[in-house]
Amino acid sequence: MKAARIELENVDDLHELVERIVDTRLQEARALAGGLETREKQALHDFRIACKRLRYALERFQELYIAPEAIADRLSQLQDALGEAHDRDVLLSILPPSMAATERRLKSDREACVNRAVVHWGELQQLMQTLDSHRI
Amino acid sequence: MKWLNKTIRREQRALERARKRFVGEPNEKRLHDVRTTGRRFRSLLEDVAGITDSKRLRRRVKRAAGATDAARDATIILRLLEGSVDRTEAELALPLLERLRVQERLATQQACRELRRMRFAP
Repeated sequence: MKAARIELENVDDLHELVERIVDTRLQEARALAGGLETREKQALHDFRIACKRLRYALERFQELYIAPEAIADRLSQLQDALGEAHDRDVLLSILPPSMAATERRLKSDREACVNRAVVHWGELQQLMQTLDSHRI
Repeated sequence: MKWLNKTIRREQRALERARKRFVGEPNEKRLHDVRTTGRRFRSLLEDVAGITDSKRLRRRVKRAAGATDAARDATIILRLLEGSVDRTEAELALPLLERLRVQERLATQQACRELRRMRFAP
């Protein structure tokens, strides 16, 4: 999924620039969080990429944008869980049909990964509410 | 914005260092480093695309990621399969494991060839 282009022309204040970037990436992640409900492969992948962009922005601009460190940490855990689910999706797509027991195991592990992601996202929702009040 | 230009140059140099390390001695860890550094850098360029003239550089970084995708996929999927095959199906997994090992080796060589031709910083 392509990253949204951020309107930054005429922005000459660094803090405003960072705010716009973080806000846009935050909105992107929230807009794609529905993937956690559908659990569909592509939707989860898009959501994972959006979370990654948000985390990178938060980490890169951390000296300019005061956000609780726990947000980036939790985003990292969320990404790990979604990444592990994605890896299982890739393996399941090439697994020989004769390996039914391995397939069952991978599917069950995949669901556990998505469940972990759902928990992390729930915690993140609460943490992210504080973003608006933590800006410089 | 001075700070921004400095940040772009810093991440550009980091990617170049990771690329050099990988083509110097390709391995799983160095492949991971070049991919992570490239992803971070690309994300920065996308964030500030509205005020920087970096389209060509962005494309190059994207191409570098593309060049390493197959190697990364083969490595990750191979490790995952090795760790998750049901005991009763160990024999059935052998052809796929072998295919992934070959893919991993060839894709890493190909990534190395492509990255050898690329430059991200002077």
